[in-house]
Amino acid sequence: MIPGIISGLIFAASLYLIFAEKLNRTITAIAGAAAMVGAGLALGFYSEKEAIAAIDFNTLGLLLGMMILVALLEPTGFFQYLAIWAARLSRGRPVRLLVLLGTVTTVLSMFLDNVTTVVLIAPVTILISEILGVSAVPLLMAEALLSDTGGVATLIGDPPNVLIASAAGFSFNDFLTHALPIVLVAWLTALLLLRYLFRTELGKQPPHADAVLKLNPAEAFNDRTTARQVLIVLGAAILLFFVQDRLHLSPAFIAVSASAAALVWVRPAISDTLQRVEWSVLIFFAALFAMVGGLEAAGVLRAVAALVAQAQGVPPVLLGMITLWVVAALSAVVDNVPITIALIPVIEGLGAAGMEIRPLWWALALGAGFGGNGTLIGSAANIVVASLSERTRTPITSALWNRRGLPVMLATCAVASVLFVLAYPWLSR
Amino acid sequence: MTNISDCMKPNVVSITASASIGQAAALFAVRHIGTLPVIDSTGRLVGLLTLRDLLALVMPDFVRLMEDFDFVHDFGAVETRRPSPETLSRPVREVMQPPISVEQTCGLLRASALLRHHDLLDLPIVNPDGRLVGIASRVDIGTALLASWRTTPEGGTP
Repeated sequence: MIPGIISGLIFAASLYLIFAEKLNRTITAIAGAAAMVGAGLALGFYSEKEAIAAIDFNTLGLLLGMMILVALLEPTGFFQYLAIWAARLSRGRPVRLLVLLGTVTTVLSMFLDNVTTVVLIAPVTILISEILGVSAVPLLMAEALLSDTGGVATLIGDPPNVLIASAAGFSFNDFLTHALPIVLVAWLTALLLLRYLFRTELGKQPPHADAVLKLNPAEAFNDRTTARQVLIVLGAAILLFFVQDRLHLSPAFIAVSASAAALVWVRPAISDTLQRVEWSVLIFFAALFAMVGGLEAAGVLRAVAALVAQAQGVPPVLLGMITLWVVAALSAVVDNVPITIALIPVIEGLGAAGMEIRPLWWALALGAGFGGNGTLIGSAANIVVASLSERTRTPITSALWNRRGLPVMLATCAVASVLFVLAYPWLSR
Repeated sequence: MTNISDCMKPNVVSITASASIGQAAALFAVRHIGTLPVIDSTGRLVGLLTLRDLLALVMPDFVRLMEDFDFVHDFGAVETRRPSPETLSRPVREVMQPPISVEQTCGLLRASALLRHHDLLDLPIVNPDGRLVGIASRVDIGTALLASWRTTPEGGTP
């Protein structure tokens, strides 16, 4: 009982610190993990060995491998090239620009880290808006919202998906056959809703549409040779993801091997490349795993699972819906990674109690992914876009996000709920 | 040994902190200068207003956010951006920089290093009371310094 209370308090305090932005999330996770292991050793419910074993190296390996590939691609100007190409194609028409930039960002973020994608596309978006003479706000918000929504479609699109795939044993193809169709409908809903919400801004014809036609995408592409090499390796890795089941390869192995191949081929200045890897994210994950491992060892998550399992009378479809909305609401206010890491053992517990849990994994993925759209701090991509816009003349405020982002979250979650009910038999397979 | 008082200009165009940004802009344009020292009623230096501070009011945001923008051949809508009348009527104290200055005894290399470090075009010179007595530009200081490199016909320094 005491270990349960202590470990629960450590986890709750950590979530609170992250939520209230009192302390950086990585620092919080490291301190929380240390406190958890310390309490575990003192009270005898958790050991150092168990803490190390709780770290999911499959998740870390996949993230590290993909981060290295992006780190190699980042300085080549490839992202800049794509954004400018999209701007030219739009001929400066606001709605077309929103659709094209939103699509480019989404497609990139389905295979690469959302944050990196947004970090690289957003400054070019501000450039395009300024020379056109239009507000960058609708475009920036659309990029964050659409990339977060689209990221749910693939195993590698979103960190919660990586976690869920690793725990549930889902393959890359499972995501394409189960999550992608739902995400596609939700994504289109989000796009149409954004078109409606920003109808005033998008209704104005930009005064300087010809300026974007004078932008030369080729000049923005600094290093084609490296970009080609990395894209070939990335393409090969994605092909391997498709056949990973048949070859019995883990996503982590594919990603790390791909990064190794790219590093050998490109032979970059390795310290520069490694500097672009987001170590704070990797350490955040590792520390969270160690912290949540303590919660599990103390029996808290088993108790939660037992509590949920008592609701046997609840129809499984309803349980899935509740999961989706609760996770979405939590993800809107707290980082979705700790939520996902904490819920994984709970769902596993329900599975051990004999419940059908495959649909619950999908509900978790959809809720964690779409929930982040709700507030400015809901996802890392939102935070990046907002903090970048703070350095411009038209900053995105929290109030604005609540008026334009929250409806998108509610609409995508509603669409996901309907499709979840309709596709329930398919999601159980 | 030469010091900054040998190359400074004693007649300085300056402005008060309560003057408007619009008035300052007009003074920059008419006098064709890069730096306006800001002084109080007793002539004490209280700040520096540079061309850069005024141009920042219309500079596009992407210039700060992008590593490189060589591929932007036409600045389009921002090319014709002007500060709003409200901005132009704000006092210069809101956009001025801290008063970087030296006294007349300052060496030329130190003066040059200060300009470089603070990314200034001109360096104001003050007396021990903090009153503005002159100003020297990058070129004034740099060329005075280079003049001391001239070798004598025998090959030594004069």
